[in-house]
Amino acid sequence: MSEKIIKEVGEINKEYNYFNEIPKDLEEHLVKGKLSGYFVSIKDCIVVKDMESRAGSKILSGYKPVFDAGVAEKIKKEGGIIIGKTAQDEFGFGSFSKNVGVDMKIPLNPFDRERCCGGSSGGSAGITQKALFKHISIAESTGGSIVCPASFCGVYGLCPTYGLVSRYGLMDYANSLDKIGPMAKNVEDIALALSVIAGYDERDSTSVKRDKEDYSQYLKRDIKGMKIGLIKEAFGEGVDEEVKKKINEKVKELEEKGAKVEEVSLPLNAKYSLAAYYIIAMSEASTNLAKFCGMRYGKHEKLEGGFNEYFSKVRSANFGVEAKRRIIIGTFARMSGFRDAYYIKSLKVRTKLIEEYKKMFERFDVLISPTMPVIAPKFSEIEKMTPLENYMMDILTVGPNLAGLPHMNIPVGFKEKMPIGLMVIGNHFDEGKLFQIGKELKR
Amino acid sequence: MSEDKFTSDVVIGLEIHVELNTKTKLFCSCPREVVDGEEPNSRCCPVCLGLPGSKPVLNKKAVEYALKLCIALKCDISPKLIFSRKSYFYPDMAKNYQITQYEIPLGNGGELKLSSGKRVKLKRAHMEEDPAALVHIGDMQKSPSVLVDYNRSGNPLVEVVTDPDITSADEARDFMKQLITILEYLEIFDINKCIIKADANISVKESGYVRAEIKNITGFKEIERALNYEIERQKHDVKEGRKFIVETRGWDSEKGITFPMRAKESEEDYGYIIDPDLVVTEIGKDWIKDMEKEMPELADAKLKKFLDEHGIEETTANVLAKDKKLADIYEAVIKKVDHSLASKWIRRELPRVLHYNKKSLEESGIKAEHMIALLKLIQDGKITEKVGQRLIEKLCVMVFDVASYVKKEGLEVVADVEKIEKFCEEAIKEAPKAIEEYKAGKEKALNFVVGLVMKKSRGKARPGVVMEVLKKLLG
Repeated sequence: MSEKIIKEVGEINKEYNYFNEIPKDLEEHLVKGKLSGYFVSIKDCIVVKDMESRAGSKILSGYKPVFDAGVAEKIKKEGGIIIGKTAQDEFGFGSFSKNVGVDMKIPLNPFDRERCCGGSSGGSAGITQKALFKHISIAESTGGSIVCPASFCGVYGLCPTYGLVSRYGLMDYANSLDKIGPMAKNVEDIALALSVIAGYDERDSTSVKRDKEDYSQYLKRDIKGMKIGLIKEAFGEGVDEEVKKKINEKVKELEEKGAKVEEVSLPLNAKYSLAAYYIIAMSEASTNLAKFCGMRYGKHEKLEGGFNEYFSKVRSANFGVEAKRRIIIGTFARMSGFRDAYYIKSLKVRTKLIEEYKKMFERFDVLISPTMPVIAPKFSEIEKMTPLENYMMDILTVGPNLAGLPHMNIPVGFKEKMPIGLMVIGNHFDEGKLFQIGKELKR
Repeated sequence: MSEDKFTSDVVIGLEIHVELNTKTKLFCSCPREVVDGEEPNSRCCPVCLGLPGSKPVLNKKAVEYALKLCIALKCDISPKLIFSRKSYFYPDMAKNYQITQYEIPLGNGGELKLSSGKRVKLKRAHMEEDPAALVHIGDMQKSPSVLVDYNRSGNPLVEVVTDPDITSADEARDFMKQLITILEYLEIFDINKCIIKADANISVKESGYVRAEIKNITGFKEIERALNYEIERQKHDVKEGRKFIVETRGWDSEKGITFPMRAKESEEDYGYIIDPDLVVTEIGKDWIKDMEKEMPELADAKLKKFLDEHGIEETTANVLAKDKKLADIYEAVIKKVDHSLASKWIRRELPRVLHYNKKSLEESGIKAEHMIALLKLIQDGKITEKVGQRLIEKLCVMVFDVASYVKKEGLEVVADVEKIEKFCEEAIKEAPKAIEEYKAGKEKALNFVVGLVMKKSRGKARPGVVMEVLKKLLG
């Protein structure tokens, strides 16, 4: 069975570049568990013991971790078979998986190879769409990196509440924002995967202590009386008309099935979330990336000159353009003289944005918006975008990410044969309600 | 403080790094303490190596140790413990940032009293992790390569920062000494096994207080040497008309000189951010109260007690109070033995024999019970002080049961007057010259004869008794 799967994955990969690493032999687990019979792909930035893990970067070439990430441990324990490390934007820096590391391949959209998969978990979303075997992908989101590619590739993708899934073994992009979550072709598998990977881990200080849940129970519940807030700002300028139409259709459907829908406004988030997000994310990222210097692991260069010259040489040759951009911007934002105006202010803004959401959840069970303002763009279109236009792609997803709120992409239809995604956002630890909505839209 | 406010000839501010003697490191469960003969990089894990994907988890014990120090130094304790990342590239840094504290240190303000009574104001006391150790082959400047040993990486440190309140090398030395006394009292530091090092900012009036920072001075003797050298160097350079710049200098202990490392054109920019891998730790009032309950009586309080309540002499009280181990033994001994006898012996005789044998108190194995047995024999007149001195010397080599040893060896005082008379008669015969002098009116000459008698009695006769007997015999 495994040999057949490796071959199948290899074939898909040749055409679509969804993997950075596929092991030669799959580790067959004799363990019987909740994931027995499932093949699991894991985003490159999540370490798997003895499996080359690069976070999509050349600078980590040859790096084989000596330990398993918390999630990898749990998957193995429940009988899941790990089939490889999925392609991504280098360290998660992008929304199209186009910013792959130096000399690495860009994953292509499963519906149209001229289009992107979305990012940064592009490989995870692509293989999830393409796999014809029982498959779950473990992805990661900092500012939308799970729901964005899930939307562009037409699969389910859940970014859980911050702290619900252990980050132990995740190569950090921005530690206060990073979340690990599952992708799958149906909501049942998402609920199953979350039941496996959620839970307290003492090795991650931000991990939250709470009782384990079986999320599949929510799939049986209907949505009668559920209060839904439709985010007004997500239907404004710059959002594709057909995307808007499709989302509105689906919201109607939910209303017909007994949900109460009301339009809501999140003015602060609309205005400030993107700026606050990028400053915090880049500030943290620029410190996280400092450790990669060709000294202890990963890519080495010929040892010459002082350590400053050597580190510069390694980093210049092995970081991609976007990684360098974010290191520079992030370092700038935390320099004395600018730190208060950018980094510290962004932290304060973040608190305000969380408050705005929390107020909403006093009145609503979930919030809904399109996941992405557009369908997956063509690479030729991406070429023409400025970095700022690039960052604007995340306008709908950074809010819940900044607030650490669970959010899920639900594939709801197509435009020009390309998938459209609906995003449902829940209150902290209210993943169950997202599954209720997901299941209802499938019925 | 702006420089024009300085008035003293010399202005010194210290930043002292203290390694806490916890079992494990600050953010992982690797053992902190050096193991004899350990291999480099044998005490590390993904966290202290900074491997991608590893995350720090705070060692609560280290926080408690740091809290105790803050309480002892009278700092205002922050209700929240927050760690930051201090970013700079250096080969001894596992992550190229150090986890330390920035905006809100654990302890704000505070003070430390010098032995002169002067109070040095503190700016702050904060927690941080130690970087790895760089190992050079031979001379640092000429070493062909640098090796990195991560065994030290992640060890818990507290950095104590003073105001520029110190005005001489001597005061700086005393500051270090007083700090070590407190650390030892709190049992959060082991002078033999933990690192304590200082960076000193120092300037002199003559230069208009242009300061130099001397890095990495280890120990209180070194700090006095380094600062005395630096004061002279700065004064000398002013006389020579050299231009002064704010600079960082190193301390070469072997050559006994400071040397320039780099100019400080502006304050280094470390781009601090709050470490997002560590959650804020609440330091509740209850936690502080618990720590206060665990606090031992400190040197200052002990000194006051020794002076006011026990009425022992000031120098002796000072020596005892400054050394927790001596103070502890003294306080145990005085439950059974007179204050003045106990204080005299524990201040003088005990340190004397330890010093002679180059042993610490623990190494010698001498405990309060030995001192009590010994001093009780003296107090009760069962043995002479002379014999007592011989016993403590023996104890320091290897401990034994004092009372039974004295019995076995027959070391009790010779109370038998006939025996003493016999010794005296012998001595008079052996020292005709001294006797002659004594008879000629030189009273002191008799001491020599007393010494002879003492020798004959192997120290077991009382000198006073011997003197009386001699005088009687000589009419």
